[in-house]
Amino acid sequence: MELILEKGRLDDWIAALEGWQAFAPSQEDEVWGYRPTASPVRLDHPNTVQPPKNFAFPQREVFFRFEQVKGEPPRLTPVEPDAARNVVFGVRPCDGRGVVRMDTVFSDHVEDSFYLGRRKNLAYVGLACLKPASRHCFCKSVGGSPVSTEGLDVLMTDLGDCWLLASATPVGETLMQAAGALLTEPSAEQRMELARRHEEALARPQKSAVADVGNAATRLKDNFDSPLWEELGKACIACGICTYLCPTCHCFDLNDEVSGGKPLRGGRVRTWDSCQFPDFTMHSSGHNPRDSLGSRLRQRVSHKFRYFVENFGTPQCTGCGRCVSQCPVGIDIVNVVNRVCASV
Amino acid sequence: MGDNIYLPQLARVSYIKEEVAGERAIKTFRLEFAEGEGFEHECGQCAMLSIFGKGEAMISIASAPHVKTYKQFSIMRVGRVTSAFHELSVGDVVGIRGPYGNSFPVHDWRGKNLIFIGGGCGLAPIWPVIQTAVAQREHFRDITVFYGGRSPRDIMYQAELEKLRGAADVHLSVDKAEEGWNAYCGFVPANLMDKEPSPENAIAITCGPPIMIKFVIQNLRSLGFRDEQIYTTIENKMKCGLGKCGRCNVGKDYVCVKGPVYSWDVLKDLPAEY
Repeated sequence: MELILEKGRLDDWIAALEGWQAFAPSQEDEVWGYRPTASPVRLDHPNTVQPPKNFAFPQREVFFRFEQVKGEPPRLTPVEPDAARNVVFGVRPCDGRGVVRMDTVFSDHVEDSFYLGRRKNLAYVGLACLKPASRHCFCKSVGGSPVSTEGLDVLMTDLGDCWLLASATPVGETLMQAAGALLTEPSAEQRMELARRHEEALARPQKSAVADVGNAATRLKDNFDSPLWEELGKACIACGICTYLCPTCHCFDLNDEVSGGKPLRGGRVRTWDSCQFPDFTMHSSGHNPRDSLGSRLRQRVSHKFRYFVENFGTPQCTGCGRCVSQCPVGIDIVNVVNRVCASV
Repeated sequence: MGDNIYLPQLARVSYIKEEVAGERAIKTFRLEFAEGEGFEHECGQCAMLSIFGKGEAMISIASAPHVKTYKQFSIMRVGRVTSAFHELSVGDVVGIRGPYGNSFPVHDWRGKNLIFIGGGCGLAPIWPVIQTAVAQREHFRDITVFYGGRSPRDIMYQAELEKLRGAADVHLSVDKAEEGWNAYCGFVPANLMDKEPSPENAIAITCGPPIMIKFVIQNLRSLGFRDEQIYTTIENKMKCGLGKCGRCNVGKDYVCVKGPVYSWDVLKDLPAEY
């Protein structure tokens, strides 16, 4: 389904989405992030600082609560994931692809009811990147595209005075149908303009590029013991920002948060974790298999460009560039992959 | 989608035995499911044990699959959760979820000589295999158990090891000679070389401190054991047990899913640290 929405009617479409809580990028204190929509929604944002991964995978969530009177058995109360129906607007194709990667992780082996429970109530309305959303974008070099619908329910393309909306899933069609008469059939000229703009976007070079993603897994395997890892990782301050802002990083911690002592009350809580933290893999004995900055950089990069490829046939990285633009010490994953892969 | 995969079942502590005292204390616990169906397991699999308010720890199941009334765990006091376990009394209720990981292919080893080589608390993960082999004694040929601790006080499962005699050849050792110790004095790998088990139609299963495993495998190789005749287990920090939390991987595989049991044939190709 391909239909036209006039620029001034985006808020009306959002208002017509009954039963959905809508989110879109907005700027607060100069920080672009997904927030509940406030009129007017413009969708003229650069890349948001955080990807929209928290909608299905919140930074903190409770799996169950426990209560225990001393000397008595504990009582466990399971928690159900929030069933709110959320629709997220303005999602860039790299982040749409990130959704697919996260779906893979949380569906593989055993299904994670918390992630999938939220995911089934989530819709993503994407925005084609007619120009790179940041100077650190490298989606094309990792197999993505600035106009891809992967992971998205609807893709919106800016045609100047209007949007062209293309549904990519049945949920996307439902969202578009809810707009009723707000959406009109595109003219032949508008279809041509869409094709022209998409072609232009695809042809536009990106400043950053992984040199040879197809051979990266093999090259990273060959260079597992390269001294480059320590050299490239030595500036890392283990802040974890690269992983927190990554649309595909899924590592988490599980801990008991205690809220009361008599009786013992608390919950088992999942929080985001990071492979860049020194104690991430530390055994209780104190032994740490990844005990250096280089070994942890190697893990992050190898997970994105080797292990995920070996397991699922595609790189995990979607080329959004956030870990590059936000790293406080300038570690650039593209540079790391290219340097290590090129080393002999 | 459906079940809360992180929700443990409740289990009651029905038995506690202090195996080893001191700094590296080990206690054995038997847990009986307090409600629900519980779960079955295979030799080598692990379970995630909870003490509410403290958290979870992944522990190898030390009882054999044919033992249905309880699951046994021998836990060294190391971190927050394992220390809390050491404070438990019989009757206390804890959380348990699992089973996780792969298992020893015990069934495939029928008709073979089995040689177990354990050190320290590394007897626990291979104990279910020993128990299974003894329970199905007619299906196996010679069963030999090498096991050692730092001192006689560090030998776990002492009474149970004595009970094995008859069904199995048991070769105990302590690192340093001590009065009253009549068995072998020296490290486990040395005891192995002293007895020189034959690789003929044999499987060697080893578990213990990494340095012990390293030399055991070296010695097994020099005795003529091929890589595919040698099995061991690896452990890593784990949180989920389900291949999602991202920390226990060796290369592309999560140990909680693809491990903890590896044949040396497979393990030797993986990096030593990861």
